[in-house]
Amino acid sequence: MSQVKKQWRSLEELTQDADFLSRVEQEFPLLGAALAAPRDRRQALALMAASLALAGAGLGGCDGAPEGDLIPAVRMPPGIVPGMPDYYSSAHIEGGYAAGTVIKHFMGRPIKVEGNPFHPASLGATSPIAQAELLNFYDPRRSWGVTQANLPRSRSALEQALGEQRDKLAATGGAGFVILTGASTSSTLAAQLGALRRSYPQIRWLHWEPIGRDNVDKGIALAYGARLELKPQIQNADVILAIDSDLLSAAPGHLRIAREFAARRNPTRAKMNRLYAIEATPSLTGAVADERFIAGPRETHRVLLALAAALLGGASVEGPPWLDRVISDLKANRGRAFIHLGPDHAPEAHALVLAMNETLGGRGAVYTLLDAVTHASSDDSLSLATLVADMRAGRVNALLIIDSNPVYAAPGALNFVEALGRVDFTLCLSATPNETTAASLWVAPMVHPWEGWSDGRAFDGTASLMQPQALPLYQGVEPYHLLGLLLRPDPPKNLDLVRQTWKDQLGATVDDAWINALAQGVIPNSASPASNRPLRDDAARTRLPEPSSAATVLLFRPDPYLLDGRYADNPWLQELPRPLSKISWGNPLLISPARARELSLTNGDVVRITVDGVRMTTPIAIAPGQSDDCFVALLGFGRRRAGPAGQNVGVDFFELTGRSCGAPDIQKTGATEELASTQRHATMFDEGGVYARSGALSQFLADPEFLRRSDEPLPSFYEWKPEGPAAWGMSIDLNACIGCNACVVACQAENNIPVVGKTEMLREREMYWLRIDRYYDGPPESPRVNFQPVLCMHCEEAPCEPVCPVGATMHDAEGLNVMVYNRCIGTRFCSNNCPYKVRRFNYFDFADEERRAIQSRNPEVTVRARGVMEKCTFCLQRIAAARIVADREGEKASAVVTACEAACPTRAFTFGDLAAKGSEVAARRAGPLSYALLAEQNTRPRVTYEAHIFNVDKPKETQK
Amino acid sequence: MGSVFRPAANFWASLALLLLALALVAFSLVVWLWPQSDSARRMNWAPAQPVPFSHQHHVSGLGIDCRYCHTAVEVSANAGMPPTYTCMTCHSQIWTNAALLEPVRNSLKAERPLVWRRVSDVPDFVYFDHSIHIAKGVGCSSCHGDVANMALTYKAKSLTMQFCLDCHRNPGPRLQPKDKIYDTDWTRDATTPAPEVLLAQYGVPQRNLTDCSICHR
Repeated sequence: MSQVKKQWRSLEELTQDADFLSRVEQEFPLLGAALAAPRDRRQALALMAASLALAGAGLGGCDGAPEGDLIPAVRMPPGIVPGMPDYYSSAHIEGGYAAGTVIKHFMGRPIKVEGNPFHPASLGATSPIAQAELLNFYDPRRSWGVTQANLPRSRSALEQALGEQRDKLAATGGAGFVILTGASTSSTLAAQLGALRRSYPQIRWLHWEPIGRDNVDKGIALAYGARLELKPQIQNADVILAIDSDLLSAAPGHLRIAREFAARRNPTRAKMNRLYAIEATPSLTGAVADERFIAGPRETHRVLLALAAALLGGASVEGPPWLDRVISDLKANRGRAFIHLGPDHAPEAHALVLAMNETLGGRGAVYTLLDAVTHASSDDSLSLATLVADMRAGRVNALLIIDSNPVYAAPGALNFVEALGRVDFTLCLSATPNETTAASLWVAPMVHPWEGWSDGRAFDGTASLMQPQALPLYQGVEPYHLLGLLLRPDPPKNLDLVRQTWKDQLGATVDDAWINALAQGVIPNSASPASNRPLRDDAARTRLPEPSSAATVLLFRPDPYLLDGRYADNPWLQELPRPLSKISWGNPLLISPARARELSLTNGDVVRITVDGVRMTTPIAIAPGQSDDCFVALLGFGRRRAGPAGQNVGVDFFELTGRSCGAPDIQKTGATEELASTQRHATMFDEGGVYARSGALSQFLADPEFLRRSDEPLPSFYEWKPEGPAAWGMSIDLNACIGCNACVVACQAENNIPVVGKTEMLREREMYWLRIDRYYDGPPESPRVNFQPVLCMHCEEAPCEPVCPVGATMHDAEGLNVMVYNRCIGTRFCSNNCPYKVRRFNYFDFADEERRAIQSRNPEVTVRARGVMEKCTFCLQRIAAARIVADREGEKASAVVTACEAACPTRAFTFGDLAAKGSEVAARRAGPLSYALLAEQNTRPRVTYEAHIFNVDKPKETQK
Repeated sequence: MGSVFRPAANFWASLALLLLALALVAFSLVVWLWPQSDSARRMNWAPAQPVPFSHQHHVSGLGIDCRYCHTAVEVSANAGMPPTYTCMTCHSQIWTNAALLEPVRNSLKAERPLVWRRVSDVPDFVYFDHSIHIAKGVGCSSCHGDVANMALTYKAKSLTMQFCLDCHRNPGPRLQPKDKIYDTDWTRDATTPAPEVLLAQYGVPQRNLTDCSICHR
């Protein structure tokens, strides 16, 4: 333990903190403390009696007396075969943009979300949020009845109230009536709003997102004089400059962009592209960049000016010293270079970057401009700020809020809730009770997107139909129905509206075109046409607004999983460790290591932050690689009216948004709060201290095997020989992994993995079968980041097996290390002996305690009880399904795709049969970058990694 | 003061201790053996069903194939239970007023499913798949007994792990010819091909059928 690790996961590890060291030396931290807690004699006796009784019940239950009922249908729904899954296409909408999904059903119940391979924004992958949509669908806390002033009302009362509004609309021509909804690409919604405007010319609507892309849209309008959509084509880009960019994590079409980016990251398979990132706070894009430069807001301003001067001409501006290299690289790759700017920058900066991209000549190759995909608000002058002003002035007498939560997520400075009180008629349509429903006069329950007909368009305009996956569980109302009621008392059916929208493409009757569009999940030839609109002449001369002169600024970023707080109720997303901080169940303020030293703060210290007179207290976390002149607040936490998973978890920084940008005042309070961070959980030990191996492209070109040189095969007493018809194995490409966590949630959904909550997370008892380790290389101020997914390695010489006293963990003939839950007596010896720390123990009956709808579980996977060890099975249920079909039909087993592999946007995982000739996994395993984790343990893992190569000339470069 | 215990007390005390020990052993044996008994496993026991359905009448008497009602048995893990609609294909024409069939008619009328009691069951952590067993020559009767001759359906086999393993260790002798899979009173006779022949014919896969991962997930 004396040697300093080359790679480190937490600052405590780097500094060899005494508390940290004593903690990692225990296999089960805090267990000693739990056992030492005093227990009285009566309690001990009661526990012993209870366990004896349970053992007796268990003995009786083991021998299979038949129990329960068989309940066949009255009429079998067509197409459903009992015991077989069905798949129906749908789409996941994020910021208005659709990414195709396929929902897996068992006996009519949705149980899993998969990506849609036919959809251009999915290509078969999903985001973690799309996976977690399942819990939102089954959320027992969803609204189920109409209320007026918080009292239950019938649905006809609501229809009557809307009837009165209809009369008023007809009398006033729509003046004073405003519809507030999120960003939308739905053509059906646009058609309906158009029909409303034709009937009531003065009606207004606002598409508003708390964390929107307004700056990007306005920037495009500045540069081109029209609403257009920019579609990156990263597969053609040789050099990419990403400035505070969300290209790989949140930009429209990010799944596809990530796929195209990663396709050119492994030098054994493709010519590498090069990614430069300039950013104030670490992001996924920065983490995978070849070179990452840290620049606060003022420095970035200077960078933009220098870039503009160099690329667009004009008086030269002195930029940071490293910028010349970037500029010359961009210039040297004209036509294959692309600059991407994040949505937090001003519209003028976007216009300027668009002009630079035109100059670099990449239009048509590395990006195209398409006709707009999202729909505009009713008039350009309408924004949330002007709406609130109108509400205050009494110019709005009816406000219809559809699937939006402005009371929580509007900038705190606007005080939306106060303005809402001045509107006579407010109706909020929301799937769950939230801050806005509490403040609205009328509240109606909204259907979940899986319960009605709708449509949406992808980042390139490709349209998808969204079909009901189930009948409404909670008597929800469809938004189209509500809007339809404003036009006539008997609005057309939802399905008819959607059919009407697409009748030109798909015909007016149910025929092959409609069925095919539903089956494929996309409407053919519906992509937006490319626009040939030229850049406006003055775009290159756009003046950037001056950055804040304050020494330190507070930056706001959406939480990667809760977004603007709309997923705060989702326990999967709350518990998911954030990619870089590895923190769950909270949003501490992020501070750079140097600033933390200066303010003598450490992780978990609570500070009081004051912005423009508004004060709040929040814990802090140190973010290695963050700029010293900014604090970063993550939005989406601190919901005041949400479900048990989301209410009062973390801090609501929306309160501080929209306020004047003076330097925030930070004062240490002396209090501390424990952060549920997994960054130091499951620490592995390797003499070399390098787990996620990486190197420079120049080294690879000189010696492709330079990273696996040291792995001498060691002799073994036992030579395990595969006997079965297949030898399952996996190869993980660290070049492709962007750390997005989609695989982790997919694994959780597929394998019925419970959430444990913050308290148990603090005790290192999370249940993830698959985790993504994040390693830092280099100094805390500017480290390089390496992600490494770690799951059960299915070692051929598995150390867990010989130590199990009851044979609960065994090898099968195909090389799977299987876990027999019913044999397990919970000694935890196996976990103790596992060098990779991938085994998880059910300290409590987590599966029962999470109170998740039983219908949402995967019926193909055992739900584990208390006291049982569990771990990755290589998706045994999927292997078994393929095996059974193959044996039944007398063929070789078809490709098995594990849940993590299916969800991965970048194809980092390759699973398959190592024994099969020409299998991709065998080829990758034989590749020059392939290495085994902790190879010196001689466990002969079936999971291997391909080392991470950065496209740089010198090894281990870390810039400041 | 005389002694408290007479000499005979030694004998009674020893006897009491012996009896106590015997009682403990007996109790342990009961706890151990009772769950393994046919009674505890509900062998040969026909639970009360909403309709006293007779496989004997429908299969042996009328010659209806198993798959007419258990439609998914060849393609799915579940064999499938017939929806009420299947019963009514015939019973809307014959025995239309039989009192016994009142629950079936009510089910269709009220759109409320019939609720049958389970006869055969394996624990939830066992993933039995009907389709692969049917495809590889394991007949219905191997696990369900001679259903075609059951007036009321009862559990004929123990369906314990031992029962499964007996066959998984040595499937050959229990395999049935392809045309006899659904014949529940089939028994091996002189005309039956040898186990090795059947194994080859069905292409029973060369995997270790006793691997944990074959049945448990």
